[in-house]
Amino acid sequence: MISTENTIIKKLRAFRWPLAVLLALAASALFLSLTLKHGLGNSFLKNGDWYTSKSTGSADADVIVKTVVAIGGLLASTREDSMYYRLGSVAGEPLRLNCRYRIEGNDYDADWWSITAYGWDYYLIPNGEKRYSFNNENVSRGEDGRWVIHVGTSQQEGNWLPVGPSGAPIEDKSDEHDFDFLLRLYTPGDAYLQKPESAPLPTVTLEGCS
Amino acid sequence: MILLRWIVAILLCGWLGQYPLAMLVPNLVMERVYSKIGEVVDYNQLNVTPRVDENSRWVVRPSPDLLYASCLYNLEQGSIVISAPVPERYWSMQFYQMNTDNFAGITNQREQHSRVGTQVEVTLVGPDANPAEYSGKVIQSPTTRGIMLLRASAIGDNSQAKSAIENSSCTVKSKHVIS
Repeated sequence: MISTENTIIKKLRAFRWPLAVLLALAASALFLSLTLKHGLGNSFLKNGDWYTSKSTGSADADVIVKTVVAIGGLLASTREDSMYYRLGSVAGEPLRLNCRYRIEGNDYDADWWSITAYGWDYYLIPNGEKRYSFNNENVSRGEDGRWVIHVGTSQQEGNWLPVGPSGAPIEDKSDEHDFDFLLRLYTPGDAYLQKPESAPLPTVTLEGCS
Repeated sequence: MILLRWIVAILLCGWLGQYPLAMLVPNLVMERVYSKIGEVVDYNQLNVTPRVDENSRWVVRPSPDLLYASCLYNLEQGSIVISAPVPERYWSMQFYQMNTDNFAGITNQREQHSRVGTQVEVTLVGPDANPAEYSGKVIQSPTTRGIMLLRASAIGDNSQAKSAIENSSCTVKSKHVIS
């Protein structure tokens, strides 16, 4: 065993430092990709299935928040202007195109709000209806002011938010979810600024899968 | 045993190295977007974005509920002036430096609601300039290059917001020294 190790070491000796640097860089890229994929809970606040950060867009944001925002939310405003909540899974299950979802809510303490569906590529999802979001004014409500948005690939009654394949080639997909939701609250009230992890938000539930 | 030490050292460096690598990512992403947009629009000029849809793939997560205009600025040759009428509904002018930080912003919300109906004029100066040498509203960019983004609510009747965005401007300013 020792002689085998020595043989390998002798062969690698000439290139050990450049090789070590390259391997360390590759390891850094791998660790970073794992941190970004699974480490959201450490840098982001969780409110139900929604994730947010108090420091989006800010110079105070930690390095992971800055990196996640640069990749999936470039040119985001700071929280005084807008709070962003992202949801990519329901009860731990990534959002899938073969499932139907129901988003329920009311009004929120903000100048205006919107819920937008984005593909895994972070862009608006191509659909025949050219409908990508609902906002506090165009969502149809019940008599009590509450609303329900139905999300799925096939047409549904009421507020239907169509989803489908993202615009980017499927071979580029590395995320588990097929699409996600982004809730924007512009000029948010104190509840969102002070305690974003417990402020009222819409609820998203899985209705069924095919 | 020596091989094991090398493996442990490489993994440790790799673990620690992810943080400096992460610090590079925002700059790299911003540089890419800045150059990509810069290939089709001029610097220091306002570019009104058509109403976003599935074909809007310049910057991730465009909002269909907003109207946008942007100015890719380069302050190497001096300051620029951004002029914009302020509509009644939500409107903001945000400034981003090359590491993606939203380092300054003006809105018509909260205590700034009095801006509604006025014409905002901002002089954006570079990191080496002396803001005291300029009059009016002055913002200093921490980097020579960056992006200014105008947002206006597209909800409901957006004719006023559309007009405000289309009548905004971003132009190079000749230095005005206070006498």
